[in-house]
Amino acid sequence: MLQVHQVSHSYGGSGWRKSKAAAGKVLDNVSFDLEPGCCLGLLGTSGAGKSTLGKIVLGLQKPASGQVTFEGFELYTKGRQGIRKVRRDLQAVFQDCYSAVNPLMTADHIIGEPLRNYERLSPAELKRRTGELLEQVGLAAEDGSKRPSQFSGGQLQRVNIARAIALKPKLIVLDEPISSLDMVHQTLILDLLSELKDSIGLSYLFITHDIQAVMTICDRVAVMDKGQIVYHTDSPSSLPSAEHEAVQRLVSAVLPQHPSLRTSWV
Amino acid sequence: MTSTHTLEVRGLQVRVNDGGKSLPLLKAIDLTIEKGQVLGLVGESGSGKSITCSAILQLLNRRGLEVEGSVRLNGRQLTKLPNREIRMIRGREIGTIMQNPMNAFTPVYTVGSQFVETLRTHSKLSKMQARAQAAASLAEVGLSEPARVMKSYPHQLSGGMLQRVMIAISMCLQPALVIADEPTTALDSVNQLQVLRQLDKLRTEYGTSILLVSHDLGVIARMADTVAVMKAGEIVEHADVHDLFDRPQHDYTRMLLQARLRGRKDA
Repeated sequence: MLQVHQVSHSYGGSGWRKSKAAAGKVLDNVSFDLEPGCCLGLLGTSGAGKSTLGKIVLGLQKPASGQVTFEGFELYTKGRQGIRKVRRDLQAVFQDCYSAVNPLMTADHIIGEPLRNYERLSPAELKRRTGELLEQVGLAAEDGSKRPSQFSGGQLQRVNIARAIALKPKLIVLDEPISSLDMVHQTLILDLLSELKDSIGLSYLFITHDIQAVMTICDRVAVMDKGQIVYHTDSPSSLPSAEHEAVQRLVSAVLPQHPSLRTSWV
Repeated sequence: MTSTHTLEVRGLQVRVNDGGKSLPLLKAIDLTIEKGQVLGLVGESGSGKSITCSAILQLLNRRGLEVEGSVRLNGRQLTKLPNREIRMIRGREIGTIMQNPMNAFTPVYTVGSQFVETLRTHSKLSKMQARAQAAASLAEVGLSEPARVMKSYPHQLSGGMLQRVMIAISMCLQPALVIADEPTTALDSVNQLQVLRQLDKLRTEYGTSILLVSHDLGVIARMADTVAVMKAGEIVEHADVHDLFDRPQHDYTRMLLQARLRGRKDA
């Protein structure tokens, strides 16, 4: 469904910062495939290039080199014909739920936006669809008249998810969707995501630094470090025993489940 | 009254006036922290954790809010002190580490100049001395190039680095109490571990007491000696960290613990 082939990217300096462009490559020859109905975890520390890869997959950031093909259409062609064909099948949910929505819009308006863009619905029909979507993500249809400031973080993330599934897309890029939520809501949102995946037949690209979330929800995991995929596995639960140094660094940073499991600081 | 507690909060109440009605935000809270101890404060959003922190720092707006109760730091009553004296206590005797390190620094000055300014506000050091001390403590929190960090602007450093700069400031001033309000929520897991390690160093080497606010029970399990669980402006459970994990008394505590265990079981 999704093929990423030898993608490289660097954020070079431009203008007055050009001389300081020592940052170098953010992505270095990254390739992976994603088949329908699969949840691929992209695991790595900050600065590993996870989010850049997410943006490239979404068609938001043209890579310096390499190809991204979604459903047989190449995303970055001249005139951007490819991306127009698959735009509605690619959706995203980001970490900061508040900055992902317009604070002046109601939830109905937010969720209805993709529907208004792609489907010709009567106002009554639109209202019914947004109500259904809200109920699908565990909110009430009446919540549609609320504005973002009236939702808690976990609720607003549900609104974002409702918007992402409104057009029944094929792939959702989840960029740290649970990192800003508290423990209880993290679990609830993960449950909701796995439920939706099965009921709609979605695929996910799940970007995170949280190894426990990856082990909970993902079917496959790719570990990124310094712009490269350094480790790849089809069984996320085997991650703790992986011997790669970048994986071990993440595994050793997992906090204990119980105070009696405290280890001395390394 | 003399007291041996580093921090002693008794009957701290905060109420807000909402059109004639008086709504409680905090309902008579009691907390104590001993020297070199870490008190973990957990609870869902809106339960009053941050209000508690602001109330201890005397940062609540007295015009809109009614604040009652006593806050003692090493036996000294903070609630009735004039602004001038409170300002000397903030930073000098109570350090703070906030969730978003980007907001804790002014974007238009270098990290070094803000560090030196803070040191010189609270001590009689010369600029040279302050700069040397700042560089030394930056090295101590594991920042490899102190000179480069000092010259950097906040946006040039990562969140984890800025958070460690905040800890370095606390190491220099050696406050009796550090209030860390969700210090690692905005960081990835590797950075989180480094920041926690430095916080622990602050406690073991300087005997600083820490009020650690977090929703992550992993952080609490790693750091805290005692834990207070808050819900709707009340402390519903206050126990030793081992007791809390082994024998949670309150429903909300159980729910928090279960949320974690479920994640582990599926894995």
